[in-house]
Parts: sequence; C-alpha cells; structure tokens
Amino acid sequence: MRIRSALPIWCFLAPSLVIFLLYRVLPLAWNLVLSFQDWSPLKAARWVGLSQYEEMLFDDEVFWQALWNTVIFIASAPIAVLLALGLALLVNADIRGRNIYRTIIFISYPLMTVAVAIIWRWMFEERVGLINYVARSLNLVTQPIPFLNSFQWALPSVIAANTWQMLGFYMIILLTGLQNIPENLYEAAAIDGASARRRFWRITVPLLKPSLFLCFVVGMLNSFASFDLVYVMTGGGPGRATELLVTYIYKLGFVQTRFDYAAAVTVFYFALLVAITWSANRLSGGNAGAVERD
Amino acid sequence: MRDDFDRPLWRRLVVNRFVVVLGAIALAIVGWNAYVASYSGGRVTGRVTDTAGEPVAGASVTLWVLNFTTYVEKARGVTDADGRFLIINRDSHNLQLAAEKAGVGRSRRVPVRLYFRAQDVELREPLVLVPTSQGGS
Amino acid sequence: MRRYPRWPIHMALLTVSVLMLLPFYWVVKTSVSGENIFAYPPSVIPKSPHLFYYVDAWYYIPFARYFVNSIVVSSIAVVANVILNAMAGYALTRDFVGKPFVLFLFLSCMMIPFQATIIPAYLITGRLGLLDSYWGLALPQCSTIVCIFVFKGSFDAVPRSLVDAARIDGLSEWRIIWKVMMPLAKSAIATNVILAFVWSWNNFMWPLIVTRSADMQTLPLGLARFLSYQEDTTGALYAFCVMVLAPGVLLFLLAQREFIQGLTSGATKG
Repeated sequence: MRIRSALPIWCFLAPSLVIFLLYRVLPLAWNLVLSFQDWSPLKAARWVGLSQYEEMLFDDEVFWQALWNTVIFIASAPIAVLLALGLALLVNADIRGRNIYRTIIFISYPLMTVAVAIIWRWMFEERVGLINYVARSLNLVTQPIPFLNSFQWALPSVIAANTWQMLGFYMIILLTGLQNIPENLYEAAAIDGASARRRFWRITVPLLKPSLFLCFVVGMLNSFASFDLVYVMTGGGPGRATELLVTYIYKLGFVQTRFDYAAAVTVFYFALLVAITWSANRLSGGNAGAVERD
Repeated sequence: MRDDFDRPLWRRLVVNRFVVVLGAIALAIVGWNAYVASYSGGRVTGRVTDTAGEPVAGASVTLWVLNFTTYVEKARGVTDADGRFLIINRDSHNLQLAAEKAGVGRSRRVPVRLYFRAQDVELREPLVLVPTSQGGS
Repeated sequence: MRRYPRWPIHMALLTVSVLMLLPFYWVVKTSVSGENIFAYPPSVIPKSPHLFYYVDAWYYIPFARYFVNSIVVSSIAVVANVILNAMAGYALTRDFVGKPFVLFLFLSCMMIPFQATIIPAYLITGRLGLLDSYWGLALPQCSTIVCIFVFKGSFDAVPRSLVDAARIDGLSEWRIIWKVMMPLAKSAIATNVILAFVWSWNNFMWPLIVTRSADMQTLPLGLARFLSYQEDTTGALYAFCVMVLAPGVLLFLLAQREFIQGLTSGATKG
C-alpha cells in the first residue's frame, strides 16, 4: 500500500528532480572532477591531481586580481543592505503613498541587467554622462572623470550600478521582515519605558536576523550573478580592473576553451562562498537562515 | 487575486488588468501594421524651386540612402513642368535628397527620416536651388 | 504610538525616488533627443524630440526576431514551470519516505548559483544535442525551487477535508492536483508565471553560452550585440534599450503584487 501510494508522488517529483540533478548537482560534481583533470573536447582526460589549483594559486595573476575584485564587490553588499534597511524603515512608516515609493524603489530589480548596464554606461560616460555633468556643474571636478576607463573608478562604478539595481530587492526582503514583527512587542516595550533606540536595537534588529541573513546570502550570490552587468558595462574593465571571478571563468571556458582550468576556478569560488556563508551562519548564532520544517 | 465566484467566469477572464492591457497593445499593433501596409508605396515626392520661389522644371534630383554609416547614391529623378518630382524608395528609412540644375544652382542636402521603410512621404519645404558661386570661398 | 512628523520621511523618500528614477529619465531623454547626443552640456529637457532613433533601432538589429525568440523560450519556461512546480509542490505536501532528503536537496540547490554550473551545463546540453535550440535554451529554466515552495505553501493552505473528500470520491492524484488544488492556488500560479517569465526573459548568460547562430539569439543578446556593433555612438542604442525595457516595466507594473509576494514568500522559506 505504501509503495502504491508513494509511486505517483515520486512521479510528480521526477521531472523537477531530473532538471535539478542534471543542471545543478551533476554540474557541480562534474566541475569537481574536471578540476583534477587535464581535458579538452578534442582529447581524452588525464588525471593531473592538483596541478590546475597550483597554476591557479601560484601562476595566475589574473586570478588574484579577479579574486580581489570579487571580494571588494561582495564587501559592498552590506552597504547596500544598510541603505535598504534605512529605506525599509522609512517605507514601513505610517505614511500615505508608501506603496508608490515601494514600487519606485523596487522597479529596477526585475529589469534586464543588460539594459541596466547600458543605462549606467551612459550615466558614467566621460563626456556627457550625467554623473560627470553634475560633478562639473557643481564644480567638484574641473576635468571629466573617465569612470569606466580609469583603474580606480571602474570597479566602484560597477558597484554603484549594482547597488542601484539590488537596493529594491533588499528593501523588499527587509520590509517583509519588518512587517512580520508583531506590533504588541513594540507597545509592550513602550509601556515599559523603552526609548525608540532601545526598541530598535532590542526588538527590531534581533527579529530581523533571518531577513538580514537572507540579504547577506543574496549579496554573496549576487557576485556570481553580476556577470551580465560587468560583461556589458566594462567587459572586465580597463585591463583587469573590473574582472570578477565569474567573468574570468566565462573567459577561460568559452573564449580560451580551457574547460578544466575554468572548472578549478569555479570549484574554488563556490567553496569560498559556501565557507563564508557557513561561517557567517555560525558567527551569528547558528540557524539564522530559519528554515521552516514541517 | 480576487476569487469572487459571483461574477460569471467569462467576465473574470476578460475584464482583468492583464487581458485589457495586453489586448489594447495587440489592437494598437494591428492598427499600426494596417497603417503601414496602406501607406508603403515608397513614393518620395516634392517640389524644386529657385530662390524666387518659381518652380524649376528639368532639375535632377538625387536620392541617397544610409548604408551603415555613410550615405550612398541610390536613385535619381527629374522634375516635371511644375517642378515636382517622384522617386521610388523601398530600401531605407534614412534618406537624403538634393536637387541641382545646370545654370540655376543646386540645393543643400536635405535629410529625410521615415517611420518605416517605403513610407510615402512628401517634402514639406521645396528644395531651393541656390546659385553656386563661381570661384568663391 | 507617539506621533512624529511625516514630512521628513516624505522628503527622504522623495529624494531616493528621484535618484532611482533619474537613470530611466536620462536614457529616455537621450533616445528622443533631437540634438547630437554627445553635445556638452547635455540638455536636461530633450531639444526638438523625435522618434526616429526608434526607427533606426528597429531596422539595425532584427528586433522582431529576437523578440520572438525570447517569447518562445520564455513561454516554454513558463508553461513547464507551472506544470513541474505544481507537481513537485503537491508531492511535497504529502509525507513519504525520503522527504527530508528531497527537501534538503532542493534547499541546497537553491544555494548553487547557475553561474557555477555553466561549463558542465554547456557540455551536457551539447551531449543532449540541444545546443542552439529553443529547448536547449529553455531546459535549465523549466523549474525553479523558489516557485516550488510557493506552490507548496499554497497547497498546504488547502483544507485537508477537501483533499480527503476528493480521494474518497476516487480521484487519482493527478486529477486532485488539477481539479482541487490548482483552482484554489490562483495567486501561486500567477506568481509562478511572473517569476518564471521575468527570470527567463532577462537571462543573458545562458543564451550567450548556448546560442551559436545569430538568429537564435534572445533579446538581451540582441541588445549586447547592438552595443558591440554601434558602440554608443548613436541614440538608437538607447532607443533599443527603452524598447527592451518597456515590456519588463509594463509587466512588472501589472503584476507587482504577485512578483513581490513570490519573491518574499519563496525566499523566506529557506
């Protein structure tokens, strides 16, 4: 009886499971295997142990530059989350038209990242971009800054564009978290004489931890997903100034066709992300991800 | 989404924001295509006058079309007794026209931009033949 | 609650809103501007606006072809998503052997970004013979875990008595999904449709990897290709950009409730 009633359930799960196994689990494993091999589509595979990793860590300057850029990119996410927290608190206030504000701030998120990249390329344009125009009009600079062509400004420009796009998403997550905090907690604390600041730090922040952790995880995964933005906006930057690990992986795999080496970089990158996420989870008291079990 | 079961099913399916907006867009697209189809004869017409405003007959009019980044000469026409000309263009939406007649002068190159290829268009301003200066600047 | 002045909040939010909308305005202004777009200082209000850049954009790059490609791929992804996710979501509402394992598998797959799988995914698609085809483009996007949990949440809310009554009436599991669960899960379906459509519509990296021929490219690729052909020397690029953004903005404005609901409910489940 159990087998009979379980079979249709597995049939229902099967198509989705197949897709995830085929396009998530299997690729991860294949990447791992590839990273220990010397392989190209034209010849047979050969096990070479850790030599791909050795090349990556000791012989490859581009890798270290890309890693550094990625770290900076990830480190900019908390700034965006803090801004979004401020916005969420403002939008959560009891004002008229909060839904309009919410829509306006969120609208940049579901747009095509390629189009966002082109918009911001134009904003940062050296001769007639809006940023340069405002800076020169306010006499902040005398010469226009070649944002996307300069080694110092290229990565911050890309980060600014990315922040513009992600701000709405973080705000929505935090807003939902804020709205899930019961009102009576605040009222009870107010009756007990807690000031607004204490209420914020003792009630709001701890109860927002799951949402904040989710924003943190999304911010890290965003460094993967920013391929579109970097590829269209700068293509890797002047030299390698905006080369992220993900664009480097793409170039290794599909421009240089070094699938095995690209797999090694991918494995390293993914392992790094998992390690950071896991340790952040432990540091913030464990299970901040608040997975619902039923 | 509202699940109000007291409205009849067809009404719920039709009178909702998606169908209304997308339907309006579809209608606009059909309407535009009909307009394009009915006005796409490719007829480029206009007049050629001299500086006094008199129509010039027998002036030769040249049509250039944009090819990537430069304009290349594509067709020529001649004005009739009333100074009117007709050139057929089906290739491009970005044109330039100029007229000239020996002894009378030549006009400047006038850019003509269309909303769709082979659009029927009539120049509002006539092409004015200005006498070319002899040995001037 | 103590009353506090509202206007500083409005001021702050208005400033932020202007900052968020300014890039859009700037690009739209550039796409209709009649003067040379590289003239300095750039005018804030477009001088002698015209729509001819849009005509240029339409003809330089085959917008219609890319649009159709995107529509086809997104439609496949949306239909497959609704069907597959509903099935998986229903299966997750039942208890069965190995359920915790499946849940764990799904949740950990959420952590695997698509970009970490591109090389093997490309090789797999090649082995399946699906390179440069609509199915190859759509297949990895045919099911998303966020949407599975959206359906699961919606199905969990259906009263058990309804399901038991249907089962007593002899309906098979398949018909239970379609006759009992789905009509009550309209918002989950809408959320699924919107999320799946937007994610597959905006997807750039996968079509970049999988397509080989120019006429299988989707809209994001077309836009990037336009940029690489023309650089940014012409206002037609920005007209194309506006043409590409318009459906996305329109769809979002029509369906923002479902979109936001889907993101928050699906995301906070794990």
